[in-house]
Amino acid sequence: MDFDFTGKAALVTGGSRGIGRAISLALAARGAYVIINYASDDDAAEKTVSDITGAGGKAVAVKADVADTAAIEEMFGRIRKDPGRLDILINNAGIIRDKLLMFMGPDDWDRVIAVNLTGVYNTAKSASRLMIGQKYGKIVNIVSPSAIVGRAGQTNYAAAKGGVIAFTKSLARELARFSIWVNAVSPGIIQTEMLDGITEQMKESFLTAVPMKRFGTPDEVTGAVLFLASERSNYITGQILCVDGGLT
Amino acid sequence: MEDKKALAERLKKLIIESLQIEDIAPGDIKDDDPLFGNGLGLDSIDALELVVALEKEFGIVIADEEVGKKIFVSINTLTDFVAKERKM
Repeated sequence: MDFDFTGKAALVTGGSRGIGRAISLALAARGAYVIINYASDDDAAEKTVSDITGAGGKAVAVKADVADTAAIEEMFGRIRKDPGRLDILINNAGIIRDKLLMFMGPDDWDRVIAVNLTGVYNTAKSASRLMIGQKYGKIVNIVSPSAIVGRAGQTNYAAAKGGVIAFTKSLARELARFSIWVNAVSPGIIQTEMLDGITEQMKESFLTAVPMKRFGTPDEVTGAVLFLASERSNYITGQILCVDGGLT
Repeated sequence: MEDKKALAERLKKLIIESLQIEDIAPGDIKDDDPLFGNGLGLDSIDALELVVALEKEFGIVIADEEVGKKIFVSINTLTDFVAKERKM
């Protein structure tokens, strides 16, 4: 089973690196015009765009902090002009600032909530105006096992992602009648550059919690995202699809 | 610019078309009928569609739910608001 997004416009937040980059490449390879939102790494964004266009796809990079309401409204102003529509929104942008609660400063709390939760409010709000007008849209929010089973050191991140899960379920009910689907994907421990920096011992300890005894691949996450962005999932909304090898 | 009566007719058509209301013609909606609840039977989520339709048709951005509640009372209130605020 493969997917065809020809003629569709997709926005991927945090789309220049890691899982976001894999999602951007996968959507573009199947015909979507991909707007790659990123916060800071100009080189990574440029590389993702050139990798897509080099393979014959269409993409553009837009720098904007998802936590900045005015910047996101400005980005959507550009999207309204070109390409003039938005069919798919992937809310992938996220940051972590792991600390045990006793040592977590207000800045660590506020910034993680701002990017991971308020960022989703900002993009989904602007997108829903466009999508209601089109009477079509697919919104996929990237969440985390931390929000489902918890993780010591991630109270801020878990709270934000838990908020996104509740947001997903509520927004799905608001927008269902307009042919707008709102779902979430919860990737487990995925083999990205983030894992390169940790010791073998830590990797082993992570794997003890995963029934499949292996890490996921970015492709396995994009498969779930593409499914929820496609017509194959048209009777599914407000759901969380866990791609985590049985972790949760 | 169209007069109030013509604008009211246009708004009735806009409501019927954007909300895909079946079995109702513009003439069936009285200018002072409540649009929500017992009147046309619209709910607050239907209003989202009207908010987007007003933006598209008249360039009016309604960002405040309280404003929406005041103007979506009836065709009369909606017509007065659009006549005053329209950008196109």
